Amino acid sequence: MKRIISKTESLCPVCLKKINAIIWTKDNETYLEKSCPEHGRFKALLWRGSIPIEKWVRPKIPAVIKRPNTSIDKGCPFDCGLCAAHRQHTCTALIEVTQRCNLRCSFCFADANGDIKDDLSMEQLEFMYNRVMQTSGNCNIQLSGGEPTLRDDLPDIIKLGHEMGFSFIQINTNGIRLGEDEAYVKALKEAGLNSVFLQFDGTEDEIFQKLRGKSLLAVKTKALDNCRKYRIGVVLVPTLVRGINDHNIGSIIDFAASWNPTVKGVHFQPASYFGRIPGLPVEAKRLTLGELMDQIEMQTEGRILKSGFSPPGCENARCSFLGSYLVQPNKTLTLLQSAAKCCEKVENAEVGAQKTKAQVAQKWASSEIIRDPRINKHEEKKQLDHQQDQWDEILNEIRQSSFSLSAMAFQDVWNVDLERVKDCCIHVVNPKGQLIPFCLYNLTNINGQSIYRNQ
Amino acid sequence: MDNNKQECELICGKCQVPLQMEKVEFNYMNHQFRHDFPRCPVCGQVYIMEEIVNGKMKEVETALEDK
Repeated sequence: MKRIISKTESLCPVCLKKINAIIWTKDNETYLEKSCPEHGRFKALLWRGSIPIEKWVRPKIPAVIKRPNTSIDKGCPFDCGLCAAHRQHTCTALIEVTQRCNLRCSFCFADANGDIKDDLSMEQLEFMYNRVMQTSGNCNIQLSGGEPTLRDDLPDIIKLGHEMGFSFIQINTNGIRLGEDEAYVKALKEAGLNSVFLQFDGTEDEIFQKLRGKSLLAVKTKALDNCRKYRIGVVLVPTLVRGINDHNIGSIIDFAASWNPTVKGVHFQPASYFGRIPGLPVEAKRLTLGELMDQIEMQTEGRILKSGFSPPGCENARCSFLGSYLVQPNKTLTLLQSAAKCCEKVENAEVGAQKTKAQVAQKWASSEIIRDPRINKHEEKKQLDHQQDQWDEILNEIRQSSFSLSAMAFQDVWNVDLERVKDCCIHVVNPKGQLIPFCLYNLTNINGQSIYRNQ
Repeated sequence: MDNNKQECELICGKCQVPLQMEKVEFNYMNHQFRHDFPRCPVCGQVYIMEEIVNGKMKEVETALEDK
């Protein structure tokens, strides 16, 4: 029997007008259904899997945007910038430094196919960095595109970002240049690049052939090798498409763990229907987060359990899942204890952290500490130095072997839930210096028309 | 007494014997670490300095907890 979970607002996939929608569930499948007076009814799959969508919650007290860039006029989603009605700060600000690309993928949310004359100038980039700092402070920066490594001055762009006060700068890349041009990787490292978000769709060349039009496994592996050489952390980012690489999820995880400590995790992105995509959505082909968690458990033969995944603490719970692990010397993953599991109550992060700390102190304190008055100052100092070193080694071991498995479900015009968009923390910076939630920036209607990109 | 174990100048307050540097296994939330710490060869107690308990050990705890 159908059960209505909530009422929300969405967009008409044809005219992009705001319309009412309901979210209903039946037999482990959850749909968003909506009706446009002009263009009719639409139904899109939101969730499918053994964990019910209603259990995938993490209520939060909404954040208040202290310095909104835009005023509330037409209502969400037409006032982005961020506006005062937005409910979450920026965690990652994404800057598209070029629209050029050296691939022509069948799936591309950015529909990249630009010209060098459209590359942002250093002055424009400085303006955009400045606007991010004013609105959101020192958040994470992701330099994207197009393919950002087509810019020879990418190291200068990274340096500029650090000089302006951003401590974490990541590039979102297909890795081709990182594999082919070691000197470039060295220059990126010297500029202070902190992390590489590496498009990595699978461990079989057939997958790259289908999704990217080329065999790319060798060059991606070389890119990893160069990142290892220059000690740049990498996150593997597979775009998952049913029937093309959804069988390869377990192998991708094993491959990633085998490359730790260079590879710090896998971030799965089930394909969404925006930007450049082949054809209209087929609901049976949609891969949802619920199914992905089931698939991870199945394809790793229970070595990774879905019960180890948590809804995110930052964005809306339905947007992602995360599991944190340590990679053991035999390259298996052990789960880190999770603080938040499908909370019933609204979370207060600070109190939660204090509670955990108190429990932890008790557990560690199982050995009674001996304090002998005969210990002299010299010995005390020697011991302190030694013990500091030993614990530094432990900390280093943990940091080196830390690993995450996560996924993000982007929303497209078919399944967009405007309540969820308000909780978004990944914001694209447009050339006007406005911050647009990622899904809204990339969202296109049935004819490829955007609300924000190129507007 | 095992001669391979290095004695240190610390004395166990309970047993009155010198502590020895030994590989000590720490277990926390299903994670194990083995490192050298002074331990009493009689009662087995391990000496961890207060500064360490409140400093580096706390950092390790935090790193092992997924917040």
